[in-house]
Amino acid sequence: MWEFLARSLEASTIFTVAALGELIGQRSGVLNVGIEGVMLFGATLGFIAAQTTGSYVIGFLVAIGIGAFLGLLHGFFSITLGGDQVVSGMGIWILGFGLTTYIGNPYTGPLGMERIPTIFGVSPFFYVAIILVAVTWFVLSKTSLGLRIRSVGENPAVAAVSGISVTKTRYLTVIVSGMLMGFAGAIYSLDYNPVWNYNFIMGWGFIALALVFFSMWNPWILLGGSLLFGSLWQLSLNPQLLLPGVFSRYIWRTVPFVITLGVLLMMSTKWFRTKWGAAKPAALGEPYSPE
Amino acid sequence: MQTGILAGIKHGETVLETRGITKRFPGVLANDHIDFEMKAGEVHAILGENGAGKSTFMNILFGLLQPDEGEIYVAGKKVKFHSPLDAIELGIGMVHQHRKLVSAHTVLENIILGHPNAGRILNLKKTGEEIDALCQRYGFKIDLKAKVWQLSEGEKQVVEILKALYRGAKILILDEPTSALAPPEVDKLLASIEAMTGDELAMIPFITHKLPIVLSTSDRVTILRRGRVTARLETKNATERSLAKDMVGREVVFRLESVEVEKGPLVLEVENLSTRNDKGALALNGVSFSIREGEIFGIAGISGNGQQELAEVLAGLRKAEGGKVMLEGKDITHASSLERWQTGVGYIPAERVDVGSIGDFTLVENVAMNYYFDHEFSRYGVVDYKKMGALTEEIIEEFSVATPSADTVGKNLSGGNLQKLILGRVFSRRPRLLIANLPTQGLDVGAIEFVQNKLIEAKKERAAVLLISEDLDEVLSLSDWVAPIYEGEFMGVIPGKEAEKDSVGAMMAGSRLEEVVA
Repeated sequence: MWEFLARSLEASTIFTVAALGELIGQRSGVLNVGIEGVMLFGATLGFIAAQTTGSYVIGFLVAIGIGAFLGLLHGFFSITLGGDQVVSGMGIWILGFGLTTYIGNPYTGPLGMERIPTIFGVSPFFYVAIILVAVTWFVLSKTSLGLRIRSVGENPAVAAVSGISVTKTRYLTVIVSGMLMGFAGAIYSLDYNPVWNYNFIMGWGFIALALVFFSMWNPWILLGGSLLFGSLWQLSLNPQLLLPGVFSRYIWRTVPFVITLGVLLMMSTKWFRTKWGAAKPAALGEPYSPE
Repeated sequence: MQTGILAGIKHGETVLETRGITKRFPGVLANDHIDFEMKAGEVHAILGENGAGKSTFMNILFGLLQPDEGEIYVAGKKVKFHSPLDAIELGIGMVHQHRKLVSAHTVLENIILGHPNAGRILNLKKTGEEIDALCQRYGFKIDLKAKVWQLSEGEKQVVEILKALYRGAKILILDEPTSALAPPEVDKLLASIEAMTGDELAMIPFITHKLPIVLSTSDRVTILRRGRVTARLETKNATERSLAKDMVGREVVFRLESVEVEKGPLVLEVENLSTRNDKGALALNGVSFSIREGEIFGIAGISGNGQQELAEVLAGLRKAEGGKVMLEGKDITHASSLERWQTGVGYIPAERVDVGSIGDFTLVENVAMNYYFDHEFSRYGVVDYKKMGALTEEIIEEFSVATPSADTVGKNLSGGNLQKLILGRVFSRRPRLLIANLPTQGLDVGAIEFVQNKLIEAKKERAAVLLISEDLDEVLSLSDWVAPIYEGEFMGVIPGKEAEKDSVGAMMAGSRLEEVVA
């Protein structure tokens, strides 16, 4: 039972960190649907770097670095070129899926390094994730920088008239956003399940994307949602642990995706939009081009 | 506060001057050597029709546009603005007509956005106190913790003014400051303008057509026409008529003679009609009225009080939540829009660019949108464009639409000409009921006169006209019945002859007829 709980928290950690990255970008108005691709890159390159050098630190740094680079790339397409954010994001996902399969193939198999020690039985990254949530919440709601980020996401024209550089602000968030996604990928491949296999992120990035909408763009609700999805995922791996004999694990494994679908369906209803519509950054997905 | 070059300025000293400001756009000379000068503590109105070059000049003063020629002097020093930030730093603030505020944020967050005093970690207490002090000084009342989307238009304007003042503005550019305000809000604004100018602030209101406001508030007026200054005078030497003449270049009829038309049978009967807005809230709450042949029924209200929804329900574009709509004795409550057009409803939507027309369609195609379903103009689903073209030519002729040809696309027409085309399209169907939603909003004086005369013509031709307007003068001068609307309810229905500006204005702001009369 304790084992199940600890593994749930660890799975939630990955959702939290990745979704937090997406949330920060979205609060400034930039949607990155390529989150799955960035995670794949972070996980794969981090895995290779750690295995080659024998250093976890280098593995994580490489993952964060490639995340920052992909964030920059997404920023270049969607901010500087003013392109469609969904198209750019899908491009990053497809690139991530194809390229990591090719690059990582020779490394298929376990990492073969000593496991990262746990703190009170749970991966240290769980605590890091909680700190990240608190910091993100504080920065977004209590600081000048946060106010600027939120204004850019709500109404970039107003922010610009108030003397704020929409471009700089969005680049900042999109890069930080990519760093967190890459980091989340590396937590998966170096800590949660240190075995490389092609496409091993298995849609977690898309769940994280849905979690951001689920969270009403609030980091604390996001943490709650991640805990829920993390537990469901863990349950799907070993359903007999809690509910012996109820459905096969293949059915359980669809549960997070079914819930994601349900959440997205619910969010697209008129009822939801009228009740909660105000929470969504008003300029989300819209490129800003001053007249 | 900041110490700009305007910090120590004294009452009566020149704060802002332009010499020979010229700005060309492809094919248009928007500003043609504009000289302008203003002093501290004065309200200097700039008056002009749409397209007179007001907006261009305003954007140059605020640094949004750079002039091709000419110089700007602030407190005697020559300056150059590369962006609004440069203007803000020198103490020029702007209150935009289309509010530049983040509606999901609080008033305080909006005011301190981008302000140096905001602090790395937001210092809400200190900045809040400073802004409260500003409010006290100039008599503004506003809840700093309220979200902007909860505010009325007048309150949003206050937020914009406070934002500019808190930034240290000494010169305030007000773009159409009264256009979206209820009459009591206008009075409040005028009072605060007075308080501010007493404090050596200089104001530049840019105004299209509210001439009484110019007369009652400003010290001086500069009038623009086709990019040039046509008059520069002391307000005390001006009259409404003389201002209009300088603005339009010819005499303008001010008071439309209301025509008496023999009242016919009932055309429209509305009983207890209710509907919801896009956000799901009750927008129209049990409205009942009727219109006879040859009557104009005027609804006066500030935008967002349910009049938009009323127009849409009557046009069949929005579902009625309850109640009944009868057109010449026939129940059309649940009829589709198409059925309504075919049975004699004509609809002039408020958004002539977004809803009234399609910018990339030619004028012929735009007219066809109201005719494609008629047997006369389409056979087996094939539109007879020859006939459509002839009809469009007729409309262009009769409604004096200024356009190179009938095959020009809609977006190339000015607002006034587009509205004339839409009017012609609707009128040519000879509607029994004409719904005119904000038919003159944003038009210049000449076009307003034209549209209003056409509404009177419709009345003479025995149509029933429902006029929805935010312009109180317009409603009062045209309507046989006046119904002020507030939060989805009529505050009363008054015969047009007995309606007075003060009482209707109070009703638009929520007083009931009984309270106003008593």
